Amino acid sequence: MPQSLFDKIWEAHVVEELPGGNALVFVDRIVAHEITTPAGALEIQRNFGDVLFDPKRIVAIYDHVSPAKDTETAIQGKILRDWAKRHGIAMHDIGQNGICHVVAPERGYVEPGMSLACGDSHTCTLGAFGAFALGIGTTAQAGAMLAGCLILQRPKVMKITLEGRLAHGATAKDLALYVIAQIGFKGATNHVIEYGGSTIESLSMDERMTLCNMAIESGATTGLCPPDETTFSYLRGRERQPTGEAFERNVARWRTLRADSGATYASEIVLDVSGLRPIVTWGTNPGESAPLDGTVPADASAASLEYMGLTRGTPLRSLGLDQAFIGSCTNSRLSDLRAAADVLRGRKVTIPTIVTPGSQAVKRAAEREGLHDVFQDAGALWTHSSCGPCLGMSMGVIAPGARCISSTNRNFPGRMGAGGRVHLASPAVVAASAVLGHIAGPEELAPVGAAEASVR
Amino acid sequence: MKLAGYVLPIDRADIDTDQIIPAHLLTGVETTGLGEHLFKGMPGGRELLEGAHPQADVIVARENFGCGSSREHAAWSLRDRGFRAVIAPSFARIFHENAYNNGVAPIVVAAEHIDGLLGAERLHIDLIDETIATPDGGTIHFTLDPLRKQFLLEGGYMEFMAKRIPRVRGWLAAKAS
Ligand code: SF4
Repeated sequence: MPQSLFDKIWEAHVVEELPGGNALVFVDRIVAHEITTPAGALEIQRNFGDVLFDPKRIVAIYDHVSPAKDTETAIQGKILRDWAKRHGIAMHDIGQNGICHVVAPERGYVEPGMSLACGDSHTCTLGAFGAFALGIGTTAQAGAMLAGCLILQRPKVMKITLEGRLAHGATAKDLALYVIAQIGFKGATNHVIEYGGSTIESLSMDERMTLCNMAIESGATTGLCPPDETTFSYLRGRERQPTGEAFERNVARWRTLRADSGATYASEIVLDVSGLRPIVTWGTNPGESAPLDGTVPADASAASLEYMGLTRGTPLRSLGLDQAFIGSCTNSRLSDLRAAADVLRGRKVTIPTIVTPGSQAVKRAAEREGLHDVFQDAGALWTHSSCGPCLGMSMGVIAPGARCISSTNRNFPGRMGAGGRVHLASPAVVAASAVLGHIAGPEELAPVGAAEASVR
Repeated sequence: MKLAGYVLPIDRADIDTDQIIPAHLLTGVETTGLGEHLFKGMPGGRELLEGAHPQADVIVARENFGCGSSREHAAWSLRDRGFRAVIAPSFARIFHENAYNNGVAPIVVAAEHIDGLLGAERLHIDLIDETIATPDGGTIHFTLDPLRKQFLLEGGYMEFMAKRIPRVRGWLAAKAS
């Protein structure tokens, strides 16, 4: 029977069928971060003799609150660090770290056909490589650290075919928000989304990661892009990948990782995205969005409107802002920072604007290109890498009622601070909005130099 | 196993884990003692809990309960505050798994039952028989995952996994050869 790409990866990892339609699924790679790992590591230490199935399959990345902000988070970091050292686990500690979903691929810890799990819902980001990459709870992660496996119900597979090249101004972020709006904020629950089509083929790995990052925002277990030459050339030469012959042998194997023609799916959707325009969320979940040129919809839910302090029919572009944030595992890679810098070059922000690179490696690469100067000349805060303001946990928390435009992935009530209001958008839209102080696109900005000219 | 069955009704869909317990409260490393933080991220959440029956151990909510982050702290805080079941038409996958692993039954019932259940002060819930007896004398049957039901009622997820280690090693060795 013809199989989907997901079917092939799944079947290569099932160790044992279990009652009730469950399966024991082998995990090739576990990514461990300091917020969700310590409790699981302590559980194994207390009850199972501090043994791990295979420390070489684990990578520890210090990410959410980096560096620690208080005693409690320092303890989380210390437990992760001590545990990694004890077991010889590779660790990317403060200074060589960043958001785990940014660090793991840039160091080559993920590859096509692999299964990968992490105690973080946005692990789906790494599905961009054609890996089965999923977020799990602490207990499931501890089980995988102890026994190498997860217990999972086999997800259904939803095929989403995207056709057409993205038009100028439209980005992978807009694509992600568009897909969620089409299938619904919970429309892919218990499904894996298998992407395909000419759009996917034309996307860079950074863009595919942005798209897959938001698969969880439609409830999906993960997103999956078929691996291709773009994937292989991204991985070639990465720190944790073999070199020379050994790497090319892997590529030959990865080339066979394709859905069979005639594979059947639980559901199939085809979308033409060539006319896509920038999208911004107005509500309290990532599915509540509208075109940047649009208005708060007539059928908007009363609860979302109340929380967001909006009325139906209000143009999104008119909304005044208190903060702008460029960062997070959705949009903090070098290409995202370049897109934001292209908008900010020679301009000034008019609201507090925070730019947080996704990893220290991204930060250094950006600085080699002078992007840090662009951001700081514009008056933005250029920080070290971390999850930062994304989850209102460390820095950049917004006040109740404050409105923030953000390149992140979640706009839930309180996500960036109790009572705070979040609008999700692409880095370019966030940057343009930071300049004008209200939600705006780059095309609204006066040409650089025009302001001074008119003053003279 | 029967629950006390006092209901905390929350007439909302998409109650995400940031609402159940916001991120700034995830700084500990223990899985207990989180009950005091429950619903601190939910608009009106604290008032909701203050108004709850002191023995409330069941939440009734609308679809997609527990969406968002993978934080198991959501299940830990519910459990610590005395909740043993959440009844909803659907759950987000990660929360669904976390709930089973922490003695919080994720009970899926058809959406059409929710209005009635939200209005009930007390329900008779039997997790072994998988039934809800409603105040009007009716019975709603639900289905728990037969494997995870064992973890729900008795714990033991990690012990189950520990027993599988030889088998997993064998599978891996066979694959490599
Ligand atoms: S950047 Fe935000 S969404 Fe991504 S892992 Fe960090 S907290 Fe989670």
